[in-house]
Amino acid sequence: MINIDIGATAVAILTLFGIYSLMAISLNLEYGVAGVPNFGQALFVSIGAYTAGVTYTRILPLLAGVESVHPCGPTMGQALQLRSEVMAAQPIAGFINLALTFLIAAVIAGAVGFAVSYVTLRLKEEWFLALVLLVGGETARIVVRGADDLICSHNGISGIAQPFYFLGDARSSSILFMLLALALALIAYFYSQRLLHSPFGRMLKGLRENEAVTRGLGKGISLARAQIMLIGSAIAAVGGVLFALNTGFVNTNDYVVTLTLDIWVMVVLGGIGNNRGALLGAALIALLDRFTQVGAIALNMSGSPIEFNYLRFIAFGLILLLMLRYRPGGLLPESPLTTNAHDVLRRASGSQPMSKRA
Amino acid sequence: MPPALLTTSLVNTIQIGSLYALMALGITLTFSVMKLPNFAHAEYVTVGAFAALIVSLAGEVNPLLIMLAAFIVGALVALISHVAVFKPLEGREVSFYTLILSSFAVGLILRYILFMIADYFNLFDTRIRIPLQIMLRESYLILTNIFFWVVPSSILLVIALTLLLNRTPLGREMRALANNPGLARVIGIPVERVKSYSWLLVGGLAGVAGALWGLQTAVSPLMGWAAIISVFAAAILGGLSSFAGTILGAYVVAFSENTIMLFLNFNFGLDLAYKPAIPFIIIIAVLLIRPQGFTELIRRAGDLQR
Repeated sequence: MINIDIGATAVAILTLFGIYSLMAISLNLEYGVAGVPNFGQALFVSIGAYTAGVTYTRILPLLAGVESVHPCGPTMGQALQLRSEVMAAQPIAGFINLALTFLIAAVIAGAVGFAVSYVTLRLKEEWFLALVLLVGGETARIVVRGADDLICSHNGISGIAQPFYFLGDARSSSILFMLLALALALIAYFYSQRLLHSPFGRMLKGLRENEAVTRGLGKGISLARAQIMLIGSAIAAVGGVLFALNTGFVNTNDYVVTLTLDIWVMVVLGGIGNNRGALLGAALIALLDRFTQVGAIALNMSGSPIEFNYLRFIAFGLILLLMLRYRPGGLLPESPLTTNAHDVLRRASGSQPMSKRA
Repeated sequence: MPPALLTTSLVNTIQIGSLYALMALGITLTFSVMKLPNFAHAEYVTVGAFAALIVSLAGEVNPLLIMLAAFIVGALVALISHVAVFKPLEGREVSFYTLILSSFAVGLILRYILFMIADYFNLFDTRIRIPLQIMLRESYLILTNIFFWVVPSSILLVIALTLLLNRTPLGREMRALANNPGLARVIGIPVERVKSYSWLLVGGLAGVAGALWGLQTAVSPLMGWAAIISVFAAAILGGLSSFAGTILGAYVVAFSENTIMLFLNFNFGLDLAYKPAIPFIIIIAVLLIRPQGFTELIRRAGDLQR
């Protein structure tokens, strides 16, 4: 049998929960609230990860004031050693670099999301956007992998240390990183809740339900769609930076359609259009992910002929199918969105309010 | 570009293009008749390839028998996925994205079941076993019997499918369903039965495509998934509705991936690693610039929705 360190496992699951929450909230804003079918979510997550790959190899040595060497090719090992030395000795440079990474990633992803949403205007049918985003993400992945210098093509970049690496103690370092991920997820959650209950949020839901009516009410729908794609993509990229820091390496192979599908499973499982649902979905998938990892190790050690990792994907597929068929609203379905004025009116007329704020 | 490279790439274009056509027609048919962009189509191909592989391991088996096995297994898997997943969703007013997600989920489940089977029986990186013969050896060109199995079989099947669609009562009913499902129901077409036959046909053809694909490369649980975007590109070039357009699209995609890619590699030094990007670029360009694909160019030649 294997011994499981409960504390470390809990930290790992909570870190994963924070990262997944950012991705799920992002997709929930885009698809759940505004109805933009982002089947290219892996692209926006990967922008964050690639940015981390570039900043940790190019900007970090600059900030630390050391001579940088090319991260790929023959100097790969030297660059890796240099990175970890800098991260261990100069925490300030590490933090500035992390802040810059978040900023650059969010700006690039936001700009791409904004630009992509204008593609919608040119498409004959709405679902073509799903297809364009799907293949657009894959194209970007192939182009990044083909560019030898950016993140070292097939090899990727490893040894991207977490920001609290300088503490030297793995346990406190990972706990602090978990807190960072959770804090960012919390900020994203409260921000998206506010957004959802603003007039802008209600307009987006109107856009999702009926584009023509929303347009008829005098709302500028293409700009609104572009704005929500900007916000959602930026959040996804922040999640991508954390994803790369969590695993410690950046490789194009991680940002395939399967990742997009994982994020969809979270949103569909938790509840489309409901931010709490997105959090719930992220939590369940983080648990399932960790569970399957532990299960895979346990099964392999017991000499079972069945590879447990395959079961993970089958389970994801089954969850998706069962939810879509039996609970299309998710575990926490979206409740009707009402304004304060609406509740006051209901109370005055003597009936119960339709709902509390979702 | 040296002539040897050119001829080899053209042979590849014909061989791969014929297989793409066989798979892409299934996508077009599913989209027209069932109104479903089916990403699980990739896995019907893979399932067929594995069925063919397992039959071929039994010993000296006639390739026709191998293809028959692939057809039957592919058809059954397609029908099961219809009955278990897609049909229950039809009755409800579900969004297109629910359908796309469901087809992804079906594909995911099938793919990893195949992984488990391949793992258990140790079937990774094996090829469907038929004896290899060299049929033609010219200075530039070597053609094996595999080429003469793959190309005529796929072309014959494509012709048979076109005839079925244009000349038989079932084909007429399928076309009616593609054109106007409500009206088709009203005039008494047995919609459910026609749909079931369509699924059997689509899955079976995908299975045969998988068997033929497995003759030329090793069978792997990812083989269908790896080809699906190219196949979708072909179907989209056909406007997702035109049969002739889809066939033309399949050869265009295969030509771009083989001949044009090699040409760019040889003359401009473009890395061959960019090859998978070609169908993506085709899809994005077609959807943005000409979403009808080739349909209007060949309106009269076998358009499902004429």
